Amino acid sequence: MKKIFYPMLILFVLIPLGLISENPAWAEWENEYYQEVLGFIPKGIENAFKIKALAPDYTIDGLNDVLAYYLSGMLGVALIFGIFYLLGKKLAR
Amino acid sequence: MHIPDGYLSPLTCIATYAAALPLWVIAFKKLKSQLDETTLPLIASLSALSFIIMMFNIPIPGGTSGHAVGASLIAILFGPWVASLCVSLVLLIQALIFGDGGVTTFGANALLMAFAASFSSYYVFEALKTRTFAPYVSGWVGVVCASIVLTLFLGIQPIIAVADGQPLYFPFGFALTFPAVVGSHMLFFGVVEAIFTGIAYRYIVKNRIYKGANV
Repeated sequence: MKKIFYPMLILFVLIPLGLISENPAWAEWENEYYQEVLGFIPKGIENAFKIKALAPDYTIDGLNDVLAYYLSGMLGVALIFGIFYLLGKKLAR
Repeated sequence: MHIPDGYLSPLTCIATYAAALPLWVIAFKKLKSQLDETTLPLIASLSALSFIIMMFNIPIPGGTSGHAVGASLIAILFGPWVASLCVSLVLLIQALIFGDGGVTTFGANALLMAFAASFSSYYVFEALKTRTFAPYVSGWVGVVCASIVLTLFLGIQPIIAVADGQPLYFPFGFALTFPAVVGSHMLFFGVVEAIFTGIAYRYIVKNRIYKGANV
């Protein structure tokens, strides 16, 4: 397992590289984009149901972007391992 | 590649959830049958790796960005069902905790990034198995297939949901969506997934971390 853990750790340390791009993904624009391009915001997009995310877009209020990105990464990874750990325990019984 | 809330009509959201639900049930059974003391830490690690890989947003010409998915690597090692469930779990966490990808569109996102990517990758790998370039091609095909399904979901919106001549949800049709989405994934993000899948697969097999496809 060590052999897979170390390369993962290296990749993890590099994740702030993912912040270099300030451009959104295609079709993941802010609503203003539609106002600009179409002259209106499609009603469904404007009135979209939005959940209150704990760390919206991997940012945390009042925290430096890079630090928030690291914390978000840790949280995501911890949740994934946590879920598999619980799954393993449940299946072992 | 994560479709946000409000981009798909309610009908599309319901239909994609309805299609994904039985697939998740089958995938969960497959995962359960494969989990043991050796596979569980590796499957968990590869899922975490998929989450990490999706955090690398890559800027491309034209003012947009994108990312690889990490589905192909799991698919060629553990089969398409396990990969689909692992990536679905990653997508669920992204939607609920980070608002990355919608909640109403989670079914659709799972169909494209988890199922379409995993199954296409897996079958391409099976067909080319004996060739050293198999995992590379498999990664590229997986991401490109996902982008084709994404185009389908987005492109039908202005056709099926219009009121007073205005699109209600995603406003751009196929003519605009297809080249932008599929083109960028063929040229950039598919290539990144190819390189990632190829290198990681080689590393895992060479170091005997896992002996390879076992479905």
